[in-house]
Amino acid sequence: MRHLDIAVIGGGLLGSAFAYGLSADGGRVGLIDEGDHAIRTARGNFGLVWVQGKGLSMPDYARWSRRSAYAWTPFSEQLHAQTGISVEYHRPGGFYVSLDEQEFADNLALLKQLRNEAGEDGYDYEIVERSALREQLPEIGPAVPGATYCPHDGHANPLKLLRALQEGFQLNGGVYTPRAKVTRIAPVTAGGFEIHCDGGHRFGCDKLVIAAGHGSVELGHHLDMEIPIFPVQGQVVVTERAQMTMAYPTNYVRQTDDGNYLLGPSARDVGFNDETETTTLRDITRRCTTAFPHLKHLRVQRTWAALRIMTPDGFPVYLQSEAYPEAFSFSCHSGVTLAAVHATDVSRWVLDGQIPSRYRCFHPERFNVPA
Amino acid sequence: MFRRRERVSDPVTIWFCDRAIEAAADDSVAAALLAAGIACFGRRPVSAAPRAPFCMIGNCFDCLVEIDGETNLQACLVPVRGGMRIRPYPGYEPGNDIKMSEL
Amino acid sequence: MSQDTSTDVVVVGAGPAGMTAASCLAQSGVRVLVLDEHMAPGGQVYRSVEKVTDKRSADLNVLGSHYRNGSKLVERLHSSGAQYWPGTSVWEISAAGEPTLAVGVVRDGRVRLIQAGHIILATGAMERPTPFPGWTLPGVMTVGAAQTLLKSSGLVPDGRIAVAGSGPLLYLYVSQLIKAGKKPQVILDTRPRASLQAKLSVLAALTVDPASMFRGLGWMREVRREVRVRERVHRLRAGGVEKLSSISYESCDRQFTDDVDLLLVHDGVIPNTWLAMSAGCRHHWHVQQRCWVPTITGAGQTSRQSVSVVGDAASIMGADASVLHGEAVASEVIACLEGKQQNAVGNAAHPFLVRQQRLLRRCLDQFYPPAQEFELPPDDETIVCRCEEVTAGQIRQVATLGCVGPNQGKAFTRCGMGPCMGRKCGVTVSRLIAEHHGLGMDEVGHYRIRPPVKPITVAQLAELEIDTDAHTA
Repeated sequence: MRHLDIAVIGGGLLGSAFAYGLSADGGRVGLIDEGDHAIRTARGNFGLVWVQGKGLSMPDYARWSRRSAYAWTPFSEQLHAQTGISVEYHRPGGFYVSLDEQEFADNLALLKQLRNEAGEDGYDYEIVERSALREQLPEIGPAVPGATYCPHDGHANPLKLLRALQEGFQLNGGVYTPRAKVTRIAPVTAGGFEIHCDGGHRFGCDKLVIAAGHGSVELGHHLDMEIPIFPVQGQVVVTERAQMTMAYPTNYVRQTDDGNYLLGPSARDVGFNDETETTTLRDITRRCTTAFPHLKHLRVQRTWAALRIMTPDGFPVYLQSEAYPEAFSFSCHSGVTLAAVHATDVSRWVLDGQIPSRYRCFHPERFNVPA
Repeated sequence: MFRRRERVSDPVTIWFCDRAIEAAADDSVAAALLAAGIACFGRRPVSAAPRAPFCMIGNCFDCLVEIDGETNLQACLVPVRGGMRIRPYPGYEPGNDIKMSEL
Repeated sequence: MSQDTSTDVVVVGAGPAGMTAASCLAQSGVRVLVLDEHMAPGGQVYRSVEKVTDKRSADLNVLGSHYRNGSKLVERLHSSGAQYWPGTSVWEISAAGEPTLAVGVVRDGRVRLIQAGHIILATGAMERPTPFPGWTLPGVMTVGAAQTLLKSSGLVPDGRIAVAGSGPLLYLYVSQLIKAGKKPQVILDTRPRASLQAKLSVLAALTVDPASMFRGLGWMREVRREVRVRERVHRLRAGGVEKLSSISYESCDRQFTDDVDLLLVHDGVIPNTWLAMSAGCRHHWHVQQRCWVPTITGAGQTSRQSVSVVGDAASIMGADASVLHGEAVASEVIACLEGKQQNAVGNAAHPFLVRQQRLLRRCLDQFYPPAQEFELPPDDETIVCRCEEVTAGQIRQVATLGCVGPNQGKAFTRCGMGPCMGRKCGVTVSRLIAEHHGLGMDEVGHYRIRPPVKPITVAQLAELEIDTDAHTA
């Protein structure tokens, strides 16, 4: 049985960010992961590092997202310096494009409310009418009435991010164990935990972080933690590479550094079904070609469906077990945006042994679930 | 690279960039271009290395061309039609080393 | 079956298996729609058989007597009552959880969905990937590609030609080329010394199917008489600037370099499983044939209730066995449509022929094993993913990082993200990862294949219609 100072369960964007951040501290950190054929939400990300529009009724979340967006710069630079991998983070600001007047009005109303809730803290955005929008996004479609712009918004390459986090983690001395689905977590009377996995792997650890995506629900039960998350299926359409023309990420479409366009978003409530569905794909392309007609002639290179982690109010669920305070669990659907604070702030919480009280707002008790 | 065993009895003219090519009426675009000695159908997106048909049955996608303005067509599956205008896809001219990201 | 289905059965592919299954079904009164991405029936083995028979009889002699069998199958299809759509690509099959079973097609530049009660995938075979340094150069093609050019356009290679690899198709093609008046400079046979098992299997196959065996041995003898053959070839490399100009290789401990204009490679064929995989059908690794095959119960039933596979797409069996299999799968599908259980055990109709085909196939598999160096390219610089130019070294690197399967490998290197969707790299990537971690191929698995399995544009997808009656289109 292998002994670890800290075990992180889950090798997706959250788990890998925690493993990376924790391993920088010098202790013996293990990242325990399933194999190639599991839910693997991390493979279905759009790549936005996004601030605008977030945090309705929870200004703390708006602040958390903005904090992460600005932490992204040193975070991505450090990853690059250490691993040689550029995660292609750019923060030119982002546009939330509306396809018709109603959508535009709804978006403006939302942002106005967010600004009211933010009070002195402020909530940065600009309204960009169609004529001005065409200067920044020349391919914008004729039906689009306008957009809102936020300077804090950006995008990155989520697959390169995942790879860089895992490489950085291993360069820091971390140990990655794939094909080790956790079947049981047993608290040890003297402290710490024993982790049993299929394939015969066993680990002992002093501290534990459960960041196993949808798998966290079941694992949390081993330690009396209720983690209220459920799947929402999102599909993405990826085009072939094209000339680099889109300088800004938007809510519907972004162009990667390789030249591919990603088209989204969508949301379906289909349980754990991760198959694509034709009319959903069609509707994605319809919306995105309304926004950007020049995409029409591009080949659809591939499509994807992923099971996003959703909480009842859409905000993260961060908790520490009451019965076993050395065990933590973190879940959220914005694994890309929050990767920077996960690798820094949240890792520090785990090392210090406590989630600071000001982040109690993310505790699932807000849903009246038993602690 | 390839030559015809028999003369073309029912020739049609197709165009590859500015070059007129005599094709047989029942050729695939790929066959007609190969018979005319075309060795580069386009360039790979990463290194701009030249590509040409490899499998001829629609599995390798190295024969992608643009035909009459429509892109992403597998030349090995499309039959020729007189007057067709074919270009390498994506839009590199043969011998041009410009990478996609530099355009 | 609801009254909304536009057709009873869709058959994808018009090779010997697809043509036979469709003909049997149509002649039994089932509404059948055959979708063929080529412009005329025949698949690969009987490619362009109608046209060659009608207009190019000189080529008919070159292509050989077996090729002519295709005409009968095509005639049967045309008179069977099956509807036939040429020039039609299939880019998706609706997911298992969806309420209706539908096939997404591209035809005349338009995309549509066709509803069906049952789907038969007769997508045939494709050549096994053969990565080696320089294989992506223009001037390197597959033997199958050259044979397709011969069949469909009467083209023969020009200039100095080398042929590398192994397998019956390689020798068949070279014998056809010799009849057409063109000889390659050299054949590079990549097989190791034949094992005792392989030699014994030849004897066994000779006793059950002497006709096929003599035919095959005949090609080999003829070819070896006319063309220089180098044995036990290793370290094949293709070189050139912008296109192929030379090759180098080792044979029997000697190093060779040849100037060539065209290099044709072939290392056997494997089932074309992409559509079946995208439909979520379970697959497993066929140890003897060294390829992915759909997991089948009965004659051709996949793990998805309304999806069957037939012919080489089920497992490599060759043209003659594909016809038998087409009949068996058609019976099974008829029983399925009528709500009856098929109680025949496999191809009970022709037990002797089935055994014959199986023994012949085992012999071929053992006599022509895939080249070790194509399966596991030794040079790290060898491109494995042609579309994204990802090398064997990069795959080994991410395997070391902890990738235990091709999908994580794809996420980390982009290998498999190009338009071919892993057709030319998938098997190699899984093999490299399996080898690195000491895992079996079923443990490593294959790429998760998603639609579109054939190219469609954003506009085509956005303009999608749902077809309720294909027969009035």
